[in-house]
Amino acid sequence: MSNKEIKSRRDALKTGAAVVATVVATAGLLPKNALAASDNPRWAMVVDLRKCTGCRACTIACKAEYGVALGRFNTVVKNVEFNKFPDTEKHFVPRLCNNCAGEQGKDVPPCVEKCPQAKAGKRMKLGKERYRTGATYKRPDGMILMDMSLCIGCYKCIDACPYGVRSIDPFVKLTLPNREKDLGVGKCTFCAHRVDQGIVPACVNTCEGRARVFGDLNNPDSPVAKLDKEFNLTGTKNKSTMLPGEKTDPHVFYIDPDNILARYKLNKENKQQEFIGTFE
Amino acid sequence: MSVKITRRNFVKLGIASSALIASGKLSESQALAGSIKLEYGGKDFSPATGVERKAVPTACWSCVTRCAAMGFVEDGRLVKMESNPKSIRTQGLMCSKGQSGPNDVYFPDRILYPMKRVGERGDGKWKRISWDEALDEMVSVLKPLRDAGTPEKLCFHYGRMKASSSKLIKSLFLNGAYGTKTLPGHTSICEGGKWTAHELVWGGHFDNWDFDNTDYVLNFGSNVLETHTNHIPCGPRLIRAKVDRGVKVVTFDVRLSNTAAKSDEWVPVKPGTDVAVLLAMCNVVLNKGLYKGKGEAFMKFVKATKNHDASFADKIATLKKHCADYTPAWASKISTVPASKIEQLAVEFATAKSACLVTYRGVAAHHNGNEGERAAFMLASLTGNVDNPGGRTKAVGASVKYPHLPKSSKAKVTKGLNIAKGSTKKGNPLYSSFPSHGCCQAVLKMIEEEQGVPDVYMWYCYNPVYVNGNFAENKKILRTIKHLWCSNIVYDESSKHCDLIIPDATYLERWDWEDMVDPNNIGEQYIRQACVKPLGEARDMGDVACQLAEKMGIPLGVSSKEEFVKKSYDMTPGVKEAGGAAMMIREGVWHDPNQKPIFMRYKNKISADKVNADGVVYDEATGVYWNAKKAHVKDGGTYENTKNSYKYYVGQKIGDEVFEVFKPDKLPKSGYLELYSQQMERKGHAPLPTYYADPAHDSMGPDDLILTTYKVAVHIHSRSTHRKWLTELYHDNPGWINPKTAAARGIKDGDKIKVKSKISTITTTAKVTEKIGPGIIAISYHLGREESGRYASGKKSPGGNDNDPDLKNIWWTEHGVHPNHIIPNSVDPVNGQQCWMDTVVQVAKA
Repeated sequence: MSNKEIKSRRDALKTGAAVVATVVATAGLLPKNALAASDNPRWAMVVDLRKCTGCRACTIACKAEYGVALGRFNTVVKNVEFNKFPDTEKHFVPRLCNNCAGEQGKDVPPCVEKCPQAKAGKRMKLGKERYRTGATYKRPDGMILMDMSLCIGCYKCIDACPYGVRSIDPFVKLTLPNREKDLGVGKCTFCAHRVDQGIVPACVNTCEGRARVFGDLNNPDSPVAKLDKEFNLTGTKNKSTMLPGEKTDPHVFYIDPDNILARYKLNKENKQQEFIGTFE
Repeated sequence: MSVKITRRNFVKLGIASSALIASGKLSESQALAGSIKLEYGGKDFSPATGVERKAVPTACWSCVTRCAAMGFVEDGRLVKMESNPKSIRTQGLMCSKGQSGPNDVYFPDRILYPMKRVGERGDGKWKRISWDEALDEMVSVLKPLRDAGTPEKLCFHYGRMKASSSKLIKSLFLNGAYGTKTLPGHTSICEGGKWTAHELVWGGHFDNWDFDNTDYVLNFGSNVLETHTNHIPCGPRLIRAKVDRGVKVVTFDVRLSNTAAKSDEWVPVKPGTDVAVLLAMCNVVLNKGLYKGKGEAFMKFVKATKNHDASFADKIATLKKHCADYTPAWASKISTVPASKIEQLAVEFATAKSACLVTYRGVAAHHNGNEGERAAFMLASLTGNVDNPGGRTKAVGASVKYPHLPKSSKAKVTKGLNIAKGSTKKGNPLYSSFPSHGCCQAVLKMIEEEQGVPDVYMWYCYNPVYVNGNFAENKKILRTIKHLWCSNIVYDESSKHCDLIIPDATYLERWDWEDMVDPNNIGEQYIRQACVKPLGEARDMGDVACQLAEKMGIPLGVSSKEEFVKKSYDMTPGVKEAGGAAMMIREGVWHDPNQKPIFMRYKNKISADKVNADGVVYDEATGVYWNAKKAHVKDGGTYENTKNSYKYYVGQKIGDEVFEVFKPDKLPKSGYLELYSQQMERKGHAPLPTYYADPAHDSMGPDDLILTTYKVAVHIHSRSTHRKWLTELYHDNPGWINPKTAAARGIKDGDKIKVKSKISTITTTAKVTEKIGPGIIAISYHLGREESGRYASGKKSPGGNDNDPDLKNIWWTEHGVHPNHIIPNSVDPVNGQQCWMDTVVQVAKA
């Protein structure tokens, strides 16, 4: 990374790129098919670190899917290296929004907890569960979504996320009164707009090693449930999830027989810089 | 514009959103619930509006793999690429390069109009002209050359031109109708040397690696998980073989590539010495008798001695003698690979049920690359791992029939300048014995030496200054040629010196049939169709060929590539019955469901009818049956001394039978897999695979390092720095150097360093890393652009516009360096391959 510095988010604000607002969550706009059954899914991703080749197809697939601005990423792959020549090891850790469930009992991830507009939106129902949309909110199926038409631009969610996966989006302008000059926030949405239509997220679709697997943890026949069973991922969250000490209960699980996650030092002081996806 | 949300969409979205907010009632989310099986792809939706994006089956062209693809179009704009999930080659996968396809169409510095130079060459002063003016100007030069019986004075130098593009532009127009054979390609700066070695050993080229069936993979110098000639069809299959089936993967590489990193073992090797390791592995196999079993069975089809009818015992005795001094201890001294490691891996490879021997540019792009490839064939042959399930197999691609040139348009005079074929002057530094894929890097030098001087030098999908060695010299010579034209999408190091630039369509705006090889050994048909109309006034070079021909009164029989492609599918057996062009347009891909994977074709017997056909004779010296009558053989003419005799090859006599074996292609070998090459011997080379070092490596001083180059997973050769999503990920290429090598020179990580070769010096930064061994510096070769627009070089191109809002978001200032300033042009003396990985350099703190 060395001398590469991306404009701070405050700088980004000043650029004031003329862009339009977007609603990241699209649920309300979809045709009325596949209506909720009694049990909601719990969407999750499993990343098999044995199969990630560091190709970055995921990163670019996401750039294209959303037209993500330069300087921003919704998913990245980090190199993790150790040992000395000729025993050098190099591994790859794909990263994205963990779509956290939040600490047990609380059941609200830090980004939602800190959002003053977390319940400012519509009253909704998914299956039997009721919920409200917000600037940042958790859908009953586990997706952490955003509605930028409700965002006031306080950026507390950016600070709250211990993983640094949120950033100011120069392509999204806020729309609430007196906020029109401010920019919105971007992050991975688990491709809710694709999943709601019955197709996997863009990064999963294209993953060269099929290292990324997506599905419903509540459905024992789903590929993620099968991997959970085989590798006991939900039973070993201290090993299979990132920064377990943060008690966020991530729903991105890693198959990691070589203990790479434990050796990946996420730079928490500069967590947004850490979420820049350059290739080394 | 790179924001997907158009104004129109925004309006729609705005209405929808306000409606939602206003209602305030409880509403049901439409999210999927319950036991829904998610599909992998083939569909995509706008994240902003939820509206389905239009899916257009097409094909990628970012690299030569040319994967079947889907383009997704939203409001007339191509926003996204994915794989075609129906493709049996790519299995629904696409790499980062392929995904960045939309950048190729919409980068703001793209050439969109014909441009005529108005200042001095290279001054950057241009006048926009109409297509009629451009075509008339070209015809005003081309027609007189053809009328004067000198069509060869048009040199058309192409980088990548494949399948229908090659057939229409090269076969029908340039060669067929116009009459020039001065048509150099670029294969010798890629991997042409490997193909020549294949032609010497087993006939036609392309080896496929059957990772789906293999039990063991031994890889010399291929970065198949990041890049490769058939990357997506091969790489994902390799990682799945390793993780899902526990197949052991061993990679020899001078640096820790991602492929080496994901292998069970990375074996660092000194650059240019893989051939020594391979020969030592043969020595182990021979001395331990590990050729018994499937090796022995296969050796029946191998020529290993001067005599074509030698017994198995003779063959083994000859190879044993030849390899006697190539011991693991000997190879260890040369390569730095421990002898015990060589022995262990040789035994593992030879005793695996099936084993796949992989080689690529880490072997081929060296002075001794030809011998590396031949030694690899020796190891694979001795262990019976050739063209078998799980081994290195003869690749199978799709075959397409196409409309031929009308007879009335056929050129009466067809000629070519020597520059297309490589230097034929013995003693010339760029002379090689069998440049069967030309000698790209010699073309400009040969023009300077007047070995052939064209009036017009036109290029396509190519950048002669940047992509060959010796950047400065290329530029100097290029500017001396009478007419310089190119068809291009990007203003680059070469097009800036042109007299005329015509704007090419990108691959996402044009049509093709494609034919790249299929790792299933079945062969898959796939189409490229335009996802969107060409931007500005861009035109596919295929269409331009039709128009130039028309204007010169030599029409090609089709008026566009689109017509050519559709007609081709409607006349291709199999495709035609399955629905022809209409079916291909709808589905994108097709393969014969009854076709079984093709392996071991060499065992096919040739029927007595064919052997006894009119004109077929037996050649005593080689054991080959060939049709001497059709070859118009002269008195005393034999299979070996008759020009193009190999085209009339019928079969190889082995014992009392005649087999198809390994049919020759381009070079007149026998039908055997030839470890012993009479062709090599005839040209004064050792007939059996032999080790020799690059002469410059033999005389290296203690301060010298070997420069190695490489590609990364997120760039395409020299062709992608204008793609913002890729360049954002990779825009700087410091020189990788081992901590010990750095310390000896007082260099610390991040220091500025000078890298000096015998021709020039570049300045870069040092990346002190444990991912490379001592004695080497590695610099990738995508960057260091003089031009190519703002994402690549920070410089706006002539005619560039400002309509991409991402221009404001560029956050990097580095643009990297280009190693071709310090790499001289050179050849493998056997096959003409450019020796990219051999340059001796000195590195010091700047």
